[in-house]
Amino acid sequence: MNKKIVKVGYGDVEKIKIGGQNPLVFVGGPCAIENRDHALFMAASIKKICDKLKIQWIYKSCYDKDCRSSPKSFHGVGIEKGLEILSEVRRLYKVPVVSDFSDPSWADLTGEVCDLVQVPAYLCRQTSILRAAARTNRPILLKKGQFMSPWNMKNSCRKLESFGNKKIILTERGTFMGYNMLVNDMTSFPIMASTGYPVCYDATHSIQLPTSMGNISGGQREFIPYLVRSAVANGINLLFMEVHDNPAKALSDSNTVLDLKYLENILYQAKKLHQLRIEILNKLGDDNVHPTNS
Amino acid sequence: MKVNDVMIPFGDFPIVNKKTILKEALTEMGQAGLGLVCIINDKRELIGLITDGDLRRKLLEVQKPFSSFFIDDALIHAKKNPITCKPDDELKKIVNLMGEKQIWDLPVIDKNKKLFGLLHLHPAVKKLI
Repeated sequence: MNKKIVKVGYGDVEKIKIGGQNPLVFVGGPCAIENRDHALFMAASIKKICDKLKIQWIYKSCYDKDCRSSPKSFHGVGIEKGLEILSEVRRLYKVPVVSDFSDPSWADLTGEVCDLVQVPAYLCRQTSILRAAARTNRPILLKKGQFMSPWNMKNSCRKLESFGNKKIILTERGTFMGYNMLVNDMTSFPIMASTGYPVCYDATHSIQLPTSMGNISGGQREFIPYLVRSAVANGINLLFMEVHDNPAKALSDSNTVLDLKYLENILYQAKKLHQLRIEILNKLGDDNVHPTNS
Repeated sequence: MKVNDVMIPFGDFPIVNKKTILKEALTEMGQAGLGLVCIINDKRELIGLITDGDLRRKLLEVQKPFSSFFIDDALIHAKKNPITCKPDDELKKIVNLMGEKQIWDLPVIDKNKKLFGLLHLHPAVKKLI
């Protein structure tokens, strides 16, 4: 199971340890950086909730959404403007930040600013992207492609390791079942955790119905709490959720983002369940029901 | 007659490292035409051994998809403390031991605990007859 601890945060932001028996960490924010004021508002709002619940967190928002279904969809504010905004979020709220990057040439700049760099699910096995991510020397949030088996993510880990980066967090975000539909296979957590790396659950992309609305993706947000409870009880180290104060007006993933007004509710449940799981683990030891060496 | 006189020298039988996945270990086994593969660490110490028989039993026991089985580290499915012999062991004694234990191949370990060779039953018996 996952024994490796990944440390996130450089400079004067809050330092976070992810993995093992460390407390559950939250990663969240609007899917895309919409503008400076909105980013700062969202950071302040999420910080308030996380401070109240005493949950460590990482601000997530992307500067360029390269996998949108339609050419008309909002693509992002761009790398320069986006990283400037993320830097301000770091500076003002002392919170680590993460953005994904979809082109190898964007990696160095992304890594200069972000405490954690994200490899998008669709690109999770692209050697050039993984090489670029490893080169940043930042911890890497590696999404599992919707088309990938959890055991095959080991190949992507081996690529990152071969490029000299062993600071990896593996993220489940749903698996294609036929067309336009995702399912969540809860066995993926122990399977990916067998790499030794911490595991993350992306609850908002997991309820996505990819490109189900013609030229945009749909989603079934009503299932978020159920899946969060399942994943946290299962044994994750990091919970990822995109959050927006007005989902209907969100410029990206408006059908899947969690409404900010529900964030405290979900994080409260997640924290309690994680604590209970650790308590059970300490009482009974590692899972030993039908143990297998395979 | 000593084990050293008839063993297959290091490098001439299947050897993989601790990070080799099962699929690559199986390929290695197939290429050499021997029913086993030795797994060594960075110090060339033997840390595991997989035989055809081990795999046969695993296939029945594990029951997971082949794609998942193949990408496991070979070491996970290896016998961790196999019986071994030394280069200067008496060949007859070791062949008797192999008969007793129903073993076809026996790794040979030198005095520095490094994998040194492999004793395969057929040439060993042939040498003794």
